[in-house]
Parts: sequence; structure tokens; C-alpha cells
Amino acid sequence: MTRTLLSLTLIACTGAASAQTVVALSEKDYFDDMPVVLSVSRLPQPLDETPGAVTVLDRDFIRRSGARDVADLLRLVPGFQSSSSFYTGAPLASYHGAFDSYSNRMQVLVDGRSVYSPYFIGSVGPGLQTVALEDIERIEIMRGSNSAAYGARALLGVVNILTRHTSQTLGAQGSITAGQNGVRDAQARLGWGNEEATYRLTLDQRSDDGLAGSNGNNQVKRFNFRSDFFTSVGDEVQLRLGNYAIDSGKGFTGNIDNPPHNTTFESNYIQADWHRSLSPDEDLAASWSHAQERYDDSFPYSLLNLPSRTQQALARLLGRSVNSNDIFMVSGTGKASSDTLSLQHTFRAGVTTRVVWGGEFRSEKVSSEALYATDANFRTDFLRLFGNLEWRAAPTVVVNAGAMAEESSVTGGELSPRLMANWHLAPGHTLRAGSSKSYRPPSTYEKFANVRFVWNGILLGVNTLARGNLEPEGVVTNELGYLGELPQWGVSVDVRAYREKISGYIRQKNATLPRSYANDEDFAIQGWEYQLKWRPWTGAQFILNQAYTDIGTESTVSQNGTAFAAPKRSSTLVYFQQFPNGLDVTLSHQDNGTAVLAGDGYDSRQAFTRTDLRLGWPLRWGAHAGEVAVTVQNLGQPYADFDQKFAFNRRAFVTLRLDH
Amino acid sequence: MTRRRLCLLLVSLALCLAGLSAHAGRRVVIVSSDNTAAYMEATQTLWTELARGGVAPEDILLLSVPQWAADPDPSWQASVYVALGSQAAIALAGGHGSVPVLAALLPRSSFERALHNHALKASSSFTAIYLDHALQRQLALIRLALPQAKTLGVLWGPDSMLKAPALRAQAASAGFSLNEAGLDGKPNLFPDLQQVLNGSDVFFALADPQVFNSNTIQNILLTTFRAQVPMVAFSPAYVRAGALMSLHTTPEQVGRQAAALVQAALRGKPLPAQPQEANDFEVSVNTHVAKALNLTLDGKVLRLDLRQMERLP
Repeated sequence: MTRTLLSLTLIACTGAASAQTVVALSEKDYFDDMPVVLSVSRLPQPLDETPGAVTVLDRDFIRRSGARDVADLLRLVPGFQSSSSFYTGAPLASYHGAFDSYSNRMQVLVDGRSVYSPYFIGSVGPGLQTVALEDIERIEIMRGSNSAAYGARALLGVVNILTRHTSQTLGAQGSITAGQNGVRDAQARLGWGNEEATYRLTLDQRSDDGLAGSNGNNQVKRFNFRSDFFTSVGDEVQLRLGNYAIDSGKGFTGNIDNPPHNTTFESNYIQADWHRSLSPDEDLAASWSHAQERYDDSFPYSLLNLPSRTQQALARLLGRSVNSNDIFMVSGTGKASSDTLSLQHTFRAGVTTRVVWGGEFRSEKVSSEALYATDANFRTDFLRLFGNLEWRAAPTVVVNAGAMAEESSVTGGELSPRLMANWHLAPGHTLRAGSSKSYRPPSTYEKFANVRFVWNGILLGVNTLARGNLEPEGVVTNELGYLGELPQWGVSVDVRAYREKISGYIRQKNATLPRSYANDEDFAIQGWEYQLKWRPWTGAQFILNQAYTDIGTESTVSQNGTAFAAPKRSSTLVYFQQFPNGLDVTLSHQDNGTAVLAGDGYDSRQAFTRTDLRLGWPLRWGAHAGEVAVTVQNLGQPYADFDQKFAFNRRAFVTLRLDH
Repeated sequence: MTRRRLCLLLVSLALCLAGLSAHAGRRVVIVSSDNTAAYMEATQTLWTELARGGVAPEDILLLSVPQWAADPDPSWQASVYVALGSQAAIALAGGHGSVPVLAALLPRSSFERALHNHALKASSSFTAIYLDHALQRQLALIRLALPQAKTLGVLWGPDSMLKAPALRAQAASAGFSLNEAGLDGKPNLFPDLQQVLNGSDVFFALADPQVFNSNTIQNILLTTFRAQVPMVAFSPAYVRAGALMSLHTTPEQVGRQAAALVQAALRGKPLPAQPQEANDFEVSVNTHVAKALNLTLDGKVLRLDLRQMERLP
């Protein structure tokens, strides 16, 4: 990886040094052809015409929120829950339910690349850590199923992270953060290039002592490189590569089955994108990416800790008694990779119709002796064909009809269709209604897990044994939405009411060992949520989110934590105020109703509140700018996060950012 | 092949034949810098309009710059030279005897360069119709199309910089403030572009090959669009590429205006001593970009409104 980066840097420097031919202005400047740039796929649908509810978090919001990672930002999106625990690799975020310790029912994209973890049961936690917050231009959150456009993982929603264009991050920039709870973050960025190609290299580190009661010491180290090339005939080529490593602590003092130990999750990726505008009404795009991930998690377990009956049986096999040298390494170590190639063709067919269609091939490989009792690769190939027709049926009505056909080499084929209509009732008022059907095929672990403890050829126990007969779980979504834009009052409103009927819900059966996974009950998530934005006076903005989420009612559901996977009622209120002297104040309050903690069981049901305050002062000297900010997270009482034993205590930290 | 192209080819062929048989007694000599579409369209209109005005086809002669340079013989007996494009203007500035020259299809700075190279001054014996529009007209268009706009972002290059004093004065009187940045010898223009887009309501592009060219346009348009700042450009090619709109003169309009001045000259009226602004123009709008920026604009309506404001017929 390092060598690749070096050679790229050399190419970059050579490109930057190329000479420019100086020409004088002539009539040719008025008559020469130009490559088409803003062709059809680059002109996005306005929010009131998208086939679903979308929340956009822009760069300003991200900075002023005081959040240190994307998972923490998503707390401020209607219907979302998030955790700051690194216990299962990285902080989790989920929409309409933190059903278990891994969030695998939504899709996360970083610059179009799917970053869910094939190794971690499809969890999006590690992927949310892919890039430094400072490199993010905006995050588009599609609330609601979106498999018709984004494939299997977009069962309940999509988080689309878009990084800044390299032409916007030229020069040097750096920031440091330090404060309570061991908060030590540092970030450095360098951008360079010319009009034909621009480049960015960002290195950053995020570390803290984690939640009180956890074996903290969480550290994320990242580097991300992005380059954008333009050709005079209108091609745009982008190359990205990066790496991140998450070191975190796991386990509990005094727990012999899970003593304190360190884990490392590491991920590398490379991605190339190509875009060509064939005309203002037609363009082509292709993308290729390769990613690999590795997880190290092991600790020694003395066989003297086994029940005495097991020890006696072992002694008979060994011909001697078990002693302190008999150590078994408990492990969750393994690796995974993915390769993705996609093509997309977008065109306008007449003045009322826009079509996007394409295909994608994705191959995932997972291998772990510890989890599958074999060092063989478990390979899953996905072949996807997708299409969406956007039809302006009348001047005030836009209909989106789309579908994705997906063939998995493991679980077969599924079709995810969607139909959505947006009706502009009056200027600034839009109603939306539609239905969709989506699937999530089981992950490799859910389908093939075989976690057995074998010591010196002797089977000590079986922890998890997948039955292998899992079918994809599905969701049928019906929704109604309203978007209101009332600029004269400085108000905008986004309302979504929905019913998400889940069938064949994949659940871990953990009442007795070995654990397994099965398609369980059908149940519905239904409710409503809204976001109200209001700019009442100069420099001020209020953002109020409220959600009512009702998960199932069947008795089989309520006996486990599923019915409480999301709080019935949750609200967040954010107040931004910029004063004339430049002082920037953010006050946010979150009120979460009773819900189970993502990493804990039915008995962990509880509610919590959290209030954050951030004060920022802009710095400026000459052409240079920056900011110094003080953030206090959770001004109130500690609350339990992820596990009843983990507490989020009040923490304050200072951030200094300098732009050159 | 389109009908229009076929037509151009026939005219081109006719002009070549006319050139081959050209001898004494010709009255209008057109020297063209190139034979690409814009020059041919201007020539075709000029030819048609002159013919319609009673000039005999054999009295119109088309030459390329090398043809003219190889034999700048007074035996052409030209009454008027029409120089189409910068190269032709520069060549004719070097020696046109006592025959008056009307330079057209070239921007003001190219014409001034031709004058400067030969220590000339604009006069009725060497004058021009400018391709670029008066700043006043361009500002009026922005005011019409984007009435809310207050701040114009301008990115100066070495050529366009010459217009800076005029724009500063006229923008102020039109009620706009300027957000300016220049190249200042920097290796790339993007930090300047970012600076210009920050706080600007409109990105006002003034032609300058070092700022706006096929290598830079992708980055410029993507950046302005990301910043949700509409770009007002100077040619329809930029509108097709993704600028919001442009004010420009077509080659046909240039040909028509040139024909009117030439005919007057043939009737004995001297060419205007002061170079002329274009008396007609088009407003191109990229309706998809306009919609994405939440704007509703109609180029035809804007053109008519602008003509009405200028009391053009």
C-alpha cells in the first residue's frame, strides 16, 4: 500500500509540473466546443422529487455539531440511534432499531463505495469510520428502504457519505483535540494539484478512553488519499485509496470467559471511478473497488476454568490431570475482502423522463478458522441489475418506478421493486406516497458460522453452529411523506409516516449452546417522524426531530428485546447561534425513550437524555483561518450506552483547527 | 450530413471557385482566419446579405489569410475589406493600402492587439464590430434574470483583467458589488475560485483562455454547481457544458451586422470611426441547470426584454 501511494504521489508531482501554453484571447474562446460537464446524472433530483425521505447533514452542520465521528452525528437524524461503544469493533448507528450488537440492516456508502463489513455480519460500524470528518462534504441519509437503488443492505435506510472534492481542499490544514476521558485527536491534510488534476492526503487519529466501565483505549488511525483527474474531452477519473485501523479494548476484569484484552480491526481499500458525459442528456459511469479487512481478537483461556466434570473427562482423554499450562486461545480472528465492479447509464428520454440503469458485480470472501472451523474462503458473488424511471407525469407530479434484481451465489435471486409518487400540492408543499419491497440475504456468518473450541485435537465445546437453511429476510414498506418549504417564515418541515413489515427476521437463537441463526417471526415497525428546521432570527437555527417508533406487538417479540430495539419516543433539539462577533454556539439535547441497549439483553431497557454544548471562536490572521472550540458532551448525568455496565460520562474537550 | 452542413459546403465550394477566378473589379474582399463552422456561417450570412443588397456575387471575394498574405495585390481593387477573426485583422492591419477594413468576429482585445502591433488607431479606415458585449448589457441581463443577486464573483485572467476598471465602475452603478480574485501568477486557479464563490450570488465569467478553457471547465463548473452559484458565461458552449446562461452573438448575427456596414460603405458612407458593439445577441439558458438551482428562465424572453431596455428595433 505504501509503495502504491508513493508512486501515485510521484505521478501527481509530475502532473503538477507540466507546462502551460500561454495563448491570447481570440474569437476561438467564444466559438470552441466545451466538454459537457453538468450532464444528466450530475444534476441531482431536488429533495421534493426524490423517491423517499432524505436528511442532509452538510459540512457546516458536521463542524458545529461537535461530533467526533459519523455515528455520533447520526443521533441527530430522525429515527436514528447510535452508540459510542467500540465493543463490537466500532460505534454503531441504526435506523428504526438497534436489533443486536451489529447494525446490518442499512447501507453505508463512502463516495459510492459500499463499506459494510462482510466479516462483521455486515455491520456498518467500522465503515462509518472510513474517513476523517474534516474530509466530508455532506452526508445524505435516505430514511427508509432503498434496495431498488442500493441493493440488499439498504433494507431500512442508506447513509451516503460524500467527501470533499480535492479542488476544494488545496493547501494544508490541521487540527488537534484534547480533553477529558483521554480524548486525543489529531488530523493533518495536504491538498495540491493544478487544473488537470488535484490530490489530497489526509492522516488522522481519534482516540479516547471509551465508556466508563469498558476496557476502553479506543484508537482509530486513518489515512485517505483521493485524486481527481479531468481530461479535455470531458472525462472525469477519480482514484481513492486508504487504510484505517481501529484498536479497542474488550472484556471485563474478573470475567474469565471474557477477560480484558485488545482487539484490532484493519481495513484497506482502493477505488477507481470514471465518468463520461456523452451529451447534456446522457452519461456513463463505471466504478471498481477492492477492499480487505482483518480482525484480531484473541485471549488465553486456562482449561482449569472449565467445569470440573469437563476437566475430569479431559483428564481421562489426556491420561493426566489438567494443569495451568493447558491454555486454549479463544479467538475471533479472521479476514474478509470484497471486489466490486459497477456500470451505470443515465439518460433523458424526452422532456418528462429520466432513466438510470446499470449493473454491478460484487464478490465477497470471508475466512476465519476461528469462526468457521476451516481456513477456506467463503465466497459470495452478487450480480445486480437495477433501473429507475423518473417520469414527470404532470407538471406537479413526479413518479419514480424502479427495481433491482439481485442474484446471490449463496441464496439465489430476489427482486426489490419500488414505486413512489411526489405531488407538488402548491409551491413549497409536496406530498409523497409509495411502496417498496426489499431483501437482505443472510451474511456469511449467519449462514455458515461454526464456532467450536478445539484444543490439541479435542473438541471442548461448540459456541455457534449455523443451520445453513436461512432465507433472506424481507421488508415491505409503505410510506407517506410531506415536505414543506416556507422560506417567508424561515421554516422547512419533513414528515414521514411508515409501516415496515419485516418477514423472516433473522435472529440469533442463543437460549442454549450452540447458538444458531434462524428466520424468525414476521413483525411490523410502524410510526412517524419529522424534522422541523426554523431560522427565527439572524444567525439562529433550530432543528427539532421527533420520532414515534412502534416495533411489533406479538408476544413472541416482546419476550426478547426486539420490541424495544428502538425507543417508542425520541426527540432531539439542536440550536445553532452565530453572533456578530463570530462566536458560534451549539446547544443540543437528546431525549431517548426506553429501549434495550444494543449490546445487552431485555433487562437493559432504559431511557436517557444527553445535552451537549459547543462554543467556537473563528481565528483569522492574514489569509489564514481557523477555529478554536470547546465542546462539552453530556452536561447531565451519566447514561448507559451499549451495555448496562458502560456509562457515558460528561466529557469536555478543546479543538484547535488551522487552515493554511 | 445535415442540410445546414451541406449548405455550408456548397457555399464554401462556391467561394473557392470565386476565389480561383478572382481578378480585377472585385469590390468586397472577405479575408477569413479559418474555415471552421463559425467563420463559414458568418461568411455565408455576409454573402447572402450582400447579394440581397445588390452586390453581384462576382464582386465578393473570399480569401484565407495565407492566400491574402501571399498576394496582397492591389489588383483586387477592393472597395472594402472584411477581416473575419483575429488572424485576418492582424494580417490586414499590416497593410491594406487605402482600402477601409472592417474587422468582425473578434473580441475587442484581439482588435486592440492588431491596432497595437501596427501602431494604428481605430478609424473609419480600420474599424471593427466586437464579438464581446458591453459590460452594461451583460450586467443588465444578470439583473433581469437574477433580480436577487447582489454580489458578482469574478475570476480575472491576464486578458480579462483589462476590463477590471470598467467592470468595477459599471457594477457599482448597476447596484452590484464585486467579489474578485486574480491569477497573480499562482500555479492554479482553484483557491481563487473558492474565494470568489464564497459569498457570491453569481459567478460572472469573462472570456480569458488562461482561466476558461477545456481543461479547466470541468472543475470550474462542478465547483460552482456544488457551491450552488449560477455561472453566467460568454458562449453557448459553456451553457451546454453546464453554465446557467450566456449572452452571446451568433456568427449569423455578426455576418448580418457586417453586411449592413459594408453596404453603406459601398454606397459611399465611411465605415464608423468607432468600433461597434454587436447590435443583436442571443441569450442561451441551460434549463436543467436552472431547474437544479431552483430558477425558471426563458432565454427568448430575456433577449426580448433586454432588447426592449436598449430600445433596439
